[in-house]
Amino acid sequence: MPTFVYMTNCDGCGECVDICPSDIMHIDPTHRRAYNIEPNFCWECYSCVKACPQNAIDVRGYSDFAPLGHSVRVLREEEKATISWKIKFRDGREKNFVSPIRTTPVGSIKSASEYAAPNPADINSQELAHEPDGLNVKELPALTRDQLKQGVV
Amino acid sequence: MFTSNPFAELTAFLPPIAMQVYIVLMVIAVFLGTVADMIHKNSGKYFAQRQKEAKAAATKELSVGDKASLAMKTIVVEVATAGEFCNPQRRISHILMFYGFIFYLVTTVIMIFGYPTSATPTPEILPLLWNAGVIMVIVGGYWFFFLLRVNVAKDGQPIFRLVPADLFIVTLLGSVTFAFIWTYVQTTGTLTETKIAFGLYILFTTLLFGSVRWSKLAHMFFKPVVAFQRRVEEASGASSLPPPAPNSEGS
Repeated sequence: MPTFVYMTNCDGCGECVDICPSDIMHIDPTHRRAYNIEPNFCWECYSCVKACPQNAIDVRGYSDFAPLGHSVRVLREEEKATISWKIKFRDGREKNFVSPIRTTPVGSIKSASEYAAPNPADINSQELAHEPDGLNVKELPALTRDQLKQGVV
Repeated sequence: MFTSNPFAELTAFLPPIAMQVYIVLMVIAVFLGTVADMIHKNSGKYFAQRQKEAKAAATKELSVGDKASLAMKTIVVEVATAGEFCNPQRRISHILMFYGFIFYLVTTVIMIFGYPTSATPTPEILPLLWNAGVIMVIVGGYWFFFLLRVNVAKDGQPIFRLVPADLFIVTLLGSVTFAFIWTYVQTTGTLTETKIAFGLYILFTTLLFGSVRWSKLAHMFFKPVVAFQRRVEEASGASSLPPPAPNSEGS
């Protein structure tokens, strides 16, 4: 079920272009609105559907084998940290779901660019960048050389 | 420069009736272009279909008062303050262009029809507003053109690769830029320079109003109607979106 854009709702902000992992959301050269350039390459990850601030993106099956009339509509409310889904089936049934999208306020998590650059000397450490502080723990368990199987080192 | 009527000074090489006829021709061009655009896109048909579907899906009947209130909200939020834009920079740029264009358009018509020659002195406020409008469109328009166009900012296209969607912004910027240059040359340059600047101003203005069928100018007319319809659908329960989530604890 790939995504498509309701052109009259889209304001051409480009959020879906930024977020699409398949790089198939692009800007139409005639109307400067977003559109899915290659529906059969859509991963159906719903990232664009959830990211669209105008709720302009919907999901549907391929019209050559699925009768139309169904829809998957999403309302993302950042201030409430919720995402609501309205699934409309082709026979008219409707299902509504509400899910939390996070447990902390929007904008409260440090982004990767806000951390100090890693020290090049740490390349020999078993820890990844910003560990263990970034994981909010004092230290991580690590193997010493004598604990490794014979032949590993 | 800022307080003199640039159209009154045109009488040096153009009779006042010429500009008056030009304005009438441009109004006709915009009307025909909008109608042709609607026929080409079937906008009227699809809009009527959307209205019919929304009416069938409505769970609540809206009174005339409700609709009047929604119309007021549409005028205040979507039209007057460009509330549909989620990007604040685009919103400011659009507001600058919107009000600048209105000042520019209205004062042009008033000056051409009301004060066509130097014999009838133009109130200073009119050329001042005309110049303010021109500058507002220049600021908002170039900001949009170089930094905010989504195909450039998000889709990574080169700034000067023009696409059909650029027709409106390029002709609008051409019109106001040469309007500004023309009024400047009127006070400092020769008659030939003035004629060249005026010719370029008229060329881009004609392209702006004559290309409505292919450009985005007609959005000024149908965008508010669609925004109103969306509000009606939300208020009558016909929206396809899920209802807002209840407030949870701690949010």
